[in-house]
Amino acid sequence: MISLFRTEMSKQVRRPRTYVALGIMVVLPAIMTIAVKFGGRADRAEVDSLFSIARQSGFVMPAAALLFMSRFLLVVVVAIFAGDAVAGEATWGNLRYTLVRPVGRARLLAAKLAMALLFVAIATLLVVVTGLLAGGLAFGWHRIDIEFTGFFSLHKSSSQLLFDLAIASAYVAWSMTSIVAMALMVSTMTDSSNGAIGAGIGLFMTSEILNAIPQLGSLRNGFPTHYLDDWRGLIVRQDSAAGLLHGALVQLPYLAVFLAIAFWWFKRKDVLS
Amino acid sequence: MQDAPVISISALTKRFGDDVIAVDDLTFGVSSGQVCGLLGPNGAGKTTTLRVLLGLVRPTSGGVSIFGTRITPSAPVLGRVGTIIEQAAFVPYLSGFRNLKLWWEAAGTKWPPPGLDRALDIAGLGPAIHRKVKTYSLGMNQRLGVARALLGNPEVLVLDEPTVGLDPQEMRSIRRMLKDMGREGVTVLLSSHLLTEVEEVCNYVVVMDRGRLVAEGTVADLTSAGTRTAYLEIDDVDAARRVLSAVPGVRSVADAPPGLAVDLDGVQRAQLVAALVRAGVGVETVMQRHRLEDAFVGLVGEETMRQ
Repeated sequence: MISLFRTEMSKQVRRPRTYVALGIMVVLPAIMTIAVKFGGRADRAEVDSLFSIARQSGFVMPAAALLFMSRFLLVVVVAIFAGDAVAGEATWGNLRYTLVRPVGRARLLAAKLAMALLFVAIATLLVVVTGLLAGGLAFGWHRIDIEFTGFFSLHKSSSQLLFDLAIASAYVAWSMTSIVAMALMVSTMTDSSNGAIGAGIGLFMTSEILNAIPQLGSLRNGFPTHYLDDWRGLIVRQDSAAGLLHGALVQLPYLAVFLAIAFWWFKRKDVLS
Repeated sequence: MQDAPVISISALTKRFGDDVIAVDDLTFGVSSGQVCGLLGPNGAGKTTTLRVLLGLVRPTSGGVSIFGTRITPSAPVLGRVGTIIEQAAFVPYLSGFRNLKLWWEAAGTKWPPPGLDRALDIAGLGPAIHRKVKTYSLGMNQRLGVARALLGNPEVLVLDEPTVGLDPQEMRSIRRMLKDMGREGVTVLLSSHLLTEVEEVCNYVVVMDRGRLVAEGTVADLTSAGTRTAYLEIDDVDAARRVLSAVPGVRSVADAPPGLAVDLDGVQRAQLVAALVRAGVGVETVMQRHRLEDAFVGLVGEETMRQ
């Protein structure tokens, strides 16, 4: 299992695409920081708006970057990695050669899943760390003390902000796991990476679209992205991390179903590619 | 030494969906050290049979075993098998060498494997082994595939059209390698549509058509069942035709430019040559042409061959 994971890792580490994807995770937060630094003044501080308070402290920039990346680009990159995991090798024709080694199909899929999850963690971390470095350099790593037009105030120490950012990163990364599971599942079923990547992104989009329809009411609580942005309260309000439990738990049924199908399917499938 | 076959295929049937029956109640065995050729027209079920043998495709019924172990997906016994399945394929952005290393290490086996030097030698890629696979020609790709099949000195080789895309010289060296392997006691099952390849390399042949076994036996068994055709190149075609038609045991004489094809029925080639020489016709070459092809066409029919 460890040797399989190592070979999977080696394939990704030596792949140019990996660096393009991770590069995007670095470049965009940096660009956002530059834009905030040299752009015009925000008219007034808005409650809940991360960008409007971004100049107050370098700790806000990583949160803003995380918010915007998690709404699309992170999803795309994560779906690419998970969706390509099996189907990509099938497209090259290499999958059949990997499978004639006595490696065990379930173990191979587990190694690929672990690699995709590790990639999610690294990609998320890069967004936050880049935001933190760029934000700190641009605005200084100060504590936050804001009075919002009289009725609301925000006071956070640097260490508290750092801790909250760590929780937020973990939460966002975890929220991507249903997309990973979906893309990986379809990846075992098709020889087309694009189909599997599309399925991962499709799950996210469908969830987002349905989530925007108020008539669906509490049904929306079951969508995988319904609670995606909830971590903002950690930074812009004084929320506690306990409020994120719902969002964390809603991933579980998706993970269980998609992964169970993925493993069941992959163990039985006729490899004809 | 035990007599049980190394590769054993028993009552193997594989259906895809309800309509397609790729392999239909196929049974045969390959003994230790045998180089067995699997012959058949396209769509005969050769590739499906080999994929079942490697645990890539699940049989609908019946089964396959290697060294007495029933094959399931990624069965441990597959660690003793080297293989090429249709085209050799690799991770394109990695070097040939890195591909071999990762493939070998994936199963937790230590690098370098036994037989690495010989495998690289046979592949003959030289410094190109460190180039990315996507820069390889089809032939280089296939040779790297041969090297991968030989890593770890496998006891069994399962090869599906291993010389596809190779030039004649490369083909020859692969065939020589296969013959050497057979002599060293490696059991080889080789599918091919190239009759000359099977005739040259294999000491046992299984002929399939439409998923079924049509015939099996040694190359000599199969060819002696069909008509023998001699092919002669002579300096005077017209005179030779006259002389040969009169030799008892010659069934027919046909033009096969630049020579003649002679169907034999109970007469030896040497007698033909003697008759020609007596009549003053110079004989340049005499060969028994495409014997297996004749047998093969006899077995699966001219039409299937052309499909």
